[in-house]
Amino acid sequence: MATDYLERGALAGVAGGLVYGLFVATVGNAFTAGLETFEHSHGGGGPVVSELTTTVASVGGGVLWGLLFGVAVFGMAYFFLEPAIPGSGATKRLALAGAGFLTVSGAPWLVLPPQPPGVEQALGTETRMAWYAGLMALGALVAVLAGLAYRRAEGRHTAVRLGATALPLVLLAVPVALAPANPVHGDVPAALVAAYRWTVVFGQLLLWTTIAGVHAWLGDSEARATDDLDYPTTAD
Amino acid sequence: MQDDTDTARATDSVYDRIERARASLTGPQIAIAVALVAALGFTLLFVQDPMLHDSLHNFRHSAGITCH
Repeated sequence: MATDYLERGALAGVAGGLVYGLFVATVGNAFTAGLETFEHSHGGGGPVVSELTTTVASVGGGVLWGLLFGVAVFGMAYFFLEPAIPGSGATKRLALAGAGFLTVSGAPWLVLPPQPPGVEQALGTETRMAWYAGLMALGALVAVLAGLAYRRAEGRHTAVRLGATALPLVLLAVPVALAPANPVHGDVPAALVAAYRWTVVFGQLLLWTTIAGVHAWLGDSEARATDDLDYPTTAD
Repeated sequence: MQDDTDTARATDSVYDRIERARASLTGPQIAIAVALVAALGFTLLFVQDPMLHDSLHNFRHSAGITCH
């Protein structure tokens, strides 16, 4: 039963990961390499692996990134949270995908936006990791509160209900206001930084929606149980 | 808030799912699944070892991971 969910989550994750791997192969690798031309040479010499290794490993990393989300979010979290997530069918999956995006990327990026290579940040790596982790926790909390608000506003006018659901997002302003300043310096033009950031955002959205779509397409357990009637029912 | 057990069963809740997982999965199974996910996440996000770090350089920039 639970392994059924895990299997579907992993399948959806691999599908999303393959699409995202293609995105890294076609856009990510070339864009990053292009941005590197603005990079000052680091004191410690160049990268320790060849460019080909980075290219191939990064595409593989993209596939694993999708697998990770598929297993953790659509395999595990979905099993437990299915009764609580608003909507049904594809809407339900998209709601979970939205929550996942907010947790993993959306909320942390408000304080620590994606930085192109060659941009030095004032905050140390350790500090940034701690902030990133904290913001992920806040993103998850906001997503849960939004789900609860949606439930509480049941029966109200649609506009009121959507407003109530969006209200917890206000919480995200708190860390933005409190975060330490993180001045960056680098020679990448501002417009190019903006293009890079939005490319990253749309890349992650592509990954999440692909996983959600494939997961919806794979169907529910109930539907699968009736489909699989020609198998002997010896599962339990 | 006390839910009527019959209603809870019929409507299915998060609590039911936890119970179901407890009944159908063993401790080691859960431990292995959680460990695998943690290992994958850690490798992609936080490992600073130069070999692996540089290999995933383009991926990290493509995914907007700023942990380096």
